[in-house]
Amino acid sequence: MRAYGSGQLLKDVHMKKNKSGHGTISRRGFLQGLGAGAGAAGVLTPGTLAKLPPATQGAASAAVREIELRINGRRRRVRVEPRVTLLDAMRERLRVTGPKRVCDRGECGACTVFLDGRPVYACMVLAVDAAGHAIETVENFGTPKRLTRLQREFVEHDAQQCGFCTPGFVTAATALLRRRPRPSDAEIQSALSGNLCRCGTYPKLLAAVRVASRPARRSQSAASSPGKQHKQR
Amino acid sequence: MAKTNVRATGGIILPPERRTATGELQQVAWENRIVDTAAVEVPVPAGEPPIWDVETRPQVIGKALPRLDGPIKVSGRADYTYDQLPPGTLYGKIVRSPYPHARIVRLDLERAQAMPGVHAIIRLDEADLQHSSAAAAAAEPGTAVAAHKQNGGASGKRNPLFVGDEIAAVAAETEEQAEDAARAIEVEYEPLPFVADLETARQPTAPRVHAGRNNVRKLPAPRGSNGDRGDIHAGLAAADVRIEGEYRTQVALHNALETHGVVARWETSNQLTVWAATQGIFGVRGDLATFFHLPPHRVRVITNYLGGGFGAKFGAGMPGIVAAWLAREAKAPVKLMYDRKEENLASGNRPSSHQRVRLGAKKDGSLTAIEIISYGTPGTGHGAGVGGMARRAYNCANVRQQEHDVATNLGPAAAFRAPGYPQGAFALEQALDELAERLQMDPLELRLKNYREHPFKALRRQYEIGAERIGWSRRQHWQRGEGAVRRGLGMASACWPTFGGPPATARVTVQPDGTVTLTVGSQDIGGGTRMIAAQVAAEEFGLTPYQVRVELGDTRWELYGPASGGSVTITSIAPVIRAAAWQAQQKLLAALAPGLNVPPEQLKLAGGKLHGAGEPIPFARACARLRQGTISAQADRAANYERNLTDMFGAQFAEVEVDTETGRIRVVKIVAVHDCGRAMNRLLAESQVNGGLIMGLSYALYEERVVDRPTGHVMNPTLDFYKLAGTREIPEIETVILDAIDPRSNNVDAKGLGEPPIVPTAAAIANAAAHALGVRLRELPMTPDRVLNALAALNS
Ligand code: FES
Ligand code: FES
Repeated sequence: MRAYGSGQLLKDVHMKKNKSGHGTISRRGFLQGLGAGAGAAGVLTPGTLAKLPPATQGAASAAVREIELRINGRRRRVRVEPRVTLLDAMRERLRVTGPKRVCDRGECGACTVFLDGRPVYACMVLAVDAAGHAIETVENFGTPKRLTRLQREFVEHDAQQCGFCTPGFVTAATALLRRRPRPSDAEIQSALSGNLCRCGTYPKLLAAVRVASRPARRSQSAASSPGKQHKQR
Repeated sequence: MAKTNVRATGGIILPPERRTATGELQQVAWENRIVDTAAVEVPVPAGEPPIWDVETRPQVIGKALPRLDGPIKVSGRADYTYDQLPPGTLYGKIVRSPYPHARIVRLDLERAQAMPGVHAIIRLDEADLQHSSAAAAAAEPGTAVAAHKQNGGASGKRNPLFVGDEIAAVAAETEEQAEDAARAIEVEYEPLPFVADLETARQPTAPRVHAGRNNVRKLPAPRGSNGDRGDIHAGLAAADVRIEGEYRTQVALHNALETHGVVARWETSNQLTVWAATQGIFGVRGDLATFFHLPPHRVRVITNYLGGGFGAKFGAGMPGIVAAWLAREAKAPVKLMYDRKEENLASGNRPSSHQRVRLGAKKDGSLTAIEIISYGTPGTGHGAGVGGMARRAYNCANVRQQEHDVATNLGPAAAFRAPGYPQGAFALEQALDELAERLQMDPLELRLKNYREHPFKALRRQYEIGAERIGWSRRQHWQRGEGAVRRGLGMASACWPTFGGPPATARVTVQPDGTVTLTVGSQDIGGGTRMIAAQVAAEEFGLTPYQVRVELGDTRWELYGPASGGSVTITSIAPVIRAAAWQAQQKLLAALAPGLNVPPEQLKLAGGKLHGAGEPIPFARACARLRQGTISAQADRAANYERNLTDMFGAQFAEVEVDTETGRIRVVKIVAVHDCGRAMNRLLAESQVNGGLIMGLSYALYEERVVDRPTGHVMNPTLDFYKLAGTREIPEIETVILDAIDPRSNNVDAKGLGEPPIVPTAAAIANAAAHALGVRLRELPMTPDRVLNALAALNS
């Protein structure tokens, strides 16, 4: 009996466009796929796959190189293989963990960062391609004690539950408001449609962005503002 | 425990706003909100704080206050398990079976061991992983592979049973190296017969999934007033009208955004620390202690923040055991986070269902019989029942529900938000609507006709409010529309039966600088446990929740808290937090009274100040007078005051538009009316309801795990092929929370809210779609092709 490969193989040869329109073929998986003989993917059986030599391995390890990433205004040097994504370089090597890894293939927006001022999915950009460009992450917008207006509205509206999608939504919404300070509801909905939230905070985060784009209300009383809280872990 | 009977009044507190005749929302005075009151004798155990009833108006509890960890989350600083990276961390990767059923002929680790960066490799194909625990515990670190080699080829190997089943695991210095090494592990499989769909698996000739066991297993049926009862044949015979229908629901995938995973670090050879993406830190601790033969206190489990669980994250599971085992072998911390595909192959799912429903009713609508026969596949796991809606939700003397698990060679199911209930509601609530049509009755009237009375149940009020806010009366003169787009209105009820209770422990301390610290052994899975815990403590001290320090998500304090599942977290811990906070507050006042020359009873904490001794003293200044340093009190959760409490109920109403040319269903509006006893925080409660119904909507219209039957492969284990509702799919949502105060429950009148809101959504949308189309959609998800097929069947 033969079992033909399905999603398993597809993942490794999947080529996607960076949603920011950069159009780079920027997938670690893509490189791996090439190494594993992706051209023949359609006829490989999973069994064959398991036996394939890890062709990229030798070459890739040899290709480790040091690059400089400019993250939130700081120059950080990091050693990566060419197949390492910007997201993994930041999270697993530089401890910049605001951007989250959720789908790792440009579908959920949890890893959204600014690259030269434009929002991109950091899981769809190779670290080596990001070298020399200005990278800005959610950590750079506001601190828990000094939130941006948008972040404050997220908090006030309870636009986060588990919060795992939140850095991505905050970044995507920040991008929208930088581009269009007074977006329509439809524009907000569409600008955030590249992000997913499994806890279902959509109604509240749409409201938070809407309110954040309008003139400030009178300030909240200090007692009811979580900004005044004791420092939580 | 000694109990005192206390007389208390229960009742319903309506929402703070009501619609006027012109449709405007208007604030309502507190007194006018309290309805349906009744006095009861409540047996209160000794040591409990003063009872709250429907007249009690807490200052902090029940308010709509933003959660205190919001600022940390929106600034990207909340540290989830996925974000942990202790120095020297290695990355774990699991090798998974590409076959749905196979025998492992050869497993060769040699080449992988020689790969750069590789520090440890373990085999996971033991007959029973628990047996490996002895080896893992006894062996010197670094020798496991050798030990396994010796046993290699011996009988007792575990055959992989689904695509994605665990075969072996590696730890290497980078994730990329771990992936390379995992690929270099040579596995030769002999494929074995398998079955990857429910219908085939039910055939007597189908390959058996579990050796020596039938694929079909009948689930035990509870009896009694919430179980099977009466005589189904007599009930059907006595009916004036009988209807029968078949319904199918899909396998759905949890897809919490943070995947399953653990970061494990051995502090010494018998002291383990793990950060776990879990809904229950103590369950993880217990599993790891057992596996590694350690006393529980030698394992510390930390979950600061969790990126969603939805029922699939209990216990150490494979990620926990594998990460800790690899870390032991490698003598270094190991981080093992599932990727999205692993998550969707091997970490759980909501089982499918195929249900046959029969209802019998008198002409006036009163039900004489409810029968459900269901089959569902939990893959290699269990738990494909369709829940208790049929047995618990309505008044009916004759109920029979026969449920069956059907094993298939697919990843095991796990609890998924209200296990069984959305499936059950999809069938039962549609069958009720069909019955209403036959009887030419309003669907809501039919439900009221079969209303099940319970003390302090708010469902009747929930129906009223929901009907008013969706404009249910429009249904009498409903215009479906003439063109391609048809409109419909539908509704469905929710019911959910579980409550929190003991054991749970909490501790509250007050420092002379005024810091109030609350420590509780639970975790915040995203629902807002941290905030509600702070509110309950703040209430007793007259503070704001933002002035309370909350410690949770760590086993090291040895304060047990329940796993967050079944909607039991708040019901379990809020009462014990109140008890501990109240005791600490009493101690504080007793300690301060002598210095102020007043009796302690005269002192009162409110608005951040101490009152009763001349000029009010700010809280921190009052605490500075503490002579003996820290005040502290620890309490254990008392049992619920009464055993048999009223289930949680709720109702949802949906308005939809269906395009009969494209088959697309657009949900225009959903009104959701729920209660959770006394709502602890109205803002968080709303979020919880929104989250449940949006997940329900996604389940109703988009989500479906697709399996390629000839190969047993899941075709859409990643988010580019598994559709979840996003911002564009969200209808207008009106969420209404009322309070159903049942003083017999616990000292804060709390009930759960995590599960009920997902229960009725798909059913309400389906009923609205049937109303729009004049034909019923009996299969989930209700995709355009199914809509078009139903219309074609209607027209032919
Ligand atoms: S993780 Fe990058 S888009 Fe999902
Ligand atoms: S808040 Fe949990 S995924 Fe969005």
